[in-house]
Amino acid sequence: MKYDLMIIGGGPAGYLAAERAGHAGLKTILFEKNNIGGVCLNEGCVPSKALLYSAKIYDYAKTGSKYGVTFEGASLDQEAVIKRKKKVVKTLVSGVKGALKANKVEVIDGEGIIEKRSDDGFNISCDSTTYTGSRLMICTGSVPIMPPIEGLKDAYEAGFAMTNKEVLELTVVPKKLVVVGGGVIGLEMASYYNSAGSEVTVVEMLDRIAGITDTEISKILKKNYEKKGIKFNLQSKVVKFTNNSVVYEKDGETVEALADKVLVSIGRRPMTQNIGIENIGVALTERGAIITDDKGRTNVAEVYAAGDVNGKSMLAHTAYREAEVCINNILGKKDRMRYNAIPAVIYTNPEVASVGETEETAKQKGIDYECANISMRYAGRYVAENEGGNGICKVLVDKKYNKVIGVSVIGNYSSEFIYGASFMIETEMTVDDIKEIVFPHPTVCEVIREALFAF
Amino acid sequence: MATAIIMPRQGNTVESCIVSKWHKQKGDAVAVGDILFTYETDKATFDEESSVAGTLLETYFEEDDDVPVLLTMCVIGEEGEDISGVTPDGASTVSEELATSEETVEVAEEKSAATATEAPIAGDTAKISPRAKNRAKKAGLDAAYATATGPSGRIIERDIIELEKSGPSVTKAAATSYVSGTAYAGTGIGGRITAADTEKGGIAAIAVDENFVEFEDEKLPNIRKVIAKAMHNSLSSMAQLTINMSFDASAIMNFRKGVKAKGEELGLPNITLGDMVVYTTAKTLLKHKGLNAHFTVDTIRRFNTVHMGVAVDTDRGLMVPTLFNSDRMTLAQISANTKDIAAQSKSGTINPDLLQGGTFTITNLGTMGVESFTPVNNPPQTAILGVCGITTKVKEANGSIKTYPSMGLSLTINHMAVDGAPAARFLKDLCNNLENFAVMLLA
Repeated sequence: MKYDLMIIGGGPAGYLAAERAGHAGLKTILFEKNNIGGVCLNEGCVPSKALLYSAKIYDYAKTGSKYGVTFEGASLDQEAVIKRKKKVVKTLVSGVKGALKANKVEVIDGEGIIEKRSDDGFNISCDSTTYTGSRLMICTGSVPIMPPIEGLKDAYEAGFAMTNKEVLELTVVPKKLVVVGGGVIGLEMASYYNSAGSEVTVVEMLDRIAGITDTEISKILKKNYEKKGIKFNLQSKVVKFTNNSVVYEKDGETVEALADKVLVSIGRRPMTQNIGIENIGVALTERGAIITDDKGRTNVAEVYAAGDVNGKSMLAHTAYREAEVCINNILGKKDRMRYNAIPAVIYTNPEVASVGETEETAKQKGIDYECANISMRYAGRYVAENEGGNGICKVLVDKKYNKVIGVSVIGNYSSEFIYGASFMIETEMTVDDIKEIVFPHPTVCEVIREALFAF
Repeated sequence: MATAIIMPRQGNTVESCIVSKWHKQKGDAVAVGDILFTYETDKATFDEESSVAGTLLETYFEEDDDVPVLLTMCVIGEEGEDISGVTPDGASTVSEELATSEETVEVAEEKSAATATEAPIAGDTAKISPRAKNRAKKAGLDAAYATATGPSGRIIERDIIELEKSGPSVTKAAATSYVSGTAYAGTGIGGRITAADTEKGGIAAIAVDENFVEFEDEKLPNIRKVIAKAMHNSLSSMAQLTINMSFDASAIMNFRKGVKAKGEELGLPNITLGDMVVYTTAKTLLKHKGLNAHFTVDTIRRFNTVHMGVAVDTDRGLMVPTLFNSDRMTLAQISANTKDIAAQSKSGTINPDLLQGGTFTITNLGTMGVESFTPVNNPPQTAILGVCGITTKVKEANGSIKTYPSMGLSLTINHMAVDGAPAARFLKDLCNNLENFAVMLLA
């Protein structure tokens, strides 16, 4: 039996590639050592959204009086929340499994290791069986970075320190939660446990939270969460974990923060170890990511890679698109990956969504731009639904071409309408053209249209 | 009332006629019975008389046009009269369209197969209908990439619709920095050319001078037709094989040097290396009569004398006059006669009888530095010798390496008549004889 395509890793890149390849008639096999759906579906994007929605309802209940609705005795049942999360994950995982089956993809429940190149292409071994295929796609994703900090290993083994996996399984809300790393995962979990009743402290090494998000928006988000009671320690470096505290240095002083649990979310690294890529000579970057070109090809002919493993964007939707680019190229269709219009969302309450350039990146690139920065209160629905809301929308326009190059929004629903801004960037429509588009009224997304009329 | 005059149908099998001459021009007064134009079928010539009086308001074809029968040739009426009612569709361009229609289809096919970002054919982009232009602009398409299928190479709407499918299209933002006709690599959505792509630049179309004439047509003179036919006939009727050999040209070069130095004093003609090759070949051929022969369907005729055809390059084309009985000529005679028939060929005064009857041919491209070639045999002859230029080669003599001038010979044989080995033997003999040229003078 010889396969047209062998895929290692069943996360967003792997399962989508398998579906597309199978649909196109390629004889496809997929190896997944843990769960189909990968980190995204099982212990990342999707379960965290289930949790955050519960938190949002609870928040609404608690703040309902602002809108003239009072709830008595509202409470959050963590066990029930986790139970529902499991149901959501199960539904979606079985959906993916069904799609794979419908597209005639053979799924192997086990760890596929690349053995060698053979006369027929490549060999993968899995549980002492050897599989042969003419093409290979590596979609092994990424793993949380666990830095060599004193005490972390023990703290993790003791269940005191957690990664994104464990934090989504907690059936008891910790009284005190320390979050190390104020990026997307850290903030979303800080947001959830803050709503659920934890006393949350975020320790971040940089002078800002939310990574590459627009600085101004990052400040607004921080302000919102400080109001809700989260403590932020920026420019703080964690030096030690004990069995009930995190020790960090800030402004030259050493501070010990007591905690019941600590989430370590300082980033993720490509998963390229122990999968046998050295057996066929796939080239890696210094940081251990697989080097791919804009068609998803590695340095080895007929070996492709997509998703977090290439270290480029580390987002599930990027992985989807990269996987499609790979499959299209395998099928001989012209396609290439572009990274200039990839949206990013933080599902906090309020949500933050952005795509394209921020003022910082535009300045770095030397783009001659103009920025419209307007209050979300220009959108009628935002005012109606966000009592005391302080969100903003920033639209960046390249002056030379009169085209939109970046949009950043803080405000709920922005996760759902940011794709519209991606569309503007991807198609390079001019501002004048976009002004002719009709937006539904009243909606929150109208704020983009309002901002464009500043130009 | 304007009257349309059509190209008459002469007989049931005639589908088109050629316009030989217009006797009236546009604007001329026409009386009943006046001859309007003369036209011809492949057998006969006819005059078209006018059956109406008036002014020749419009003509739709030119002299030498091949016009399908029953098409409107011209319109006669009162001056200033509206002739739109009788104007045929696409009137003034009908002939051009007919002439180019076949070609256009081919180009269109080629174009659609080509990649989307292939450079457009630089040309007159002004030839575009307003409707097509508008559509191209709206769709962000560069009409320079469109394949014109309209009359007279005009780009019409359907060409733009085709272009919409095959690309390349330009994003709205990139339109400001896009240079029409440049081949950019489109990296945007669906292969669109983005602003960043235009910044990277592309391969600019080659600017073409408006007055630049791409090609010129020349009717084939008779001699070219004859050469074409002879060459094609030669290659299509024979199994031609070319073998190459070279020889040390020291002997003939030294001999020529000696003749040059002393020749004028003694009143000798200027002997060229070519003359010496002709002389030696004629002598050598007598021992290899299979190559001094005519090959016909069932007979091989071996000659006991050598009528040497000598290829001559003339302004009008290749001519091959014959040196009859060259094997019995002295070197001086060979030289003088060759010069004579070559001069006659070049001036066009040569007696046609001298252009036939050869039993073997020599063609000399050596003076132009050709190192080896495949001469085309002159039927019914069985072989032709190509004389190549001189190059310096090295050889080992008495344990040391020395350079020597080497001259190449390319012999094409008709393998139907002669085999390779006898041909090689002849060539070997010829080379030996040329290397010992002084001895040949005694032969």
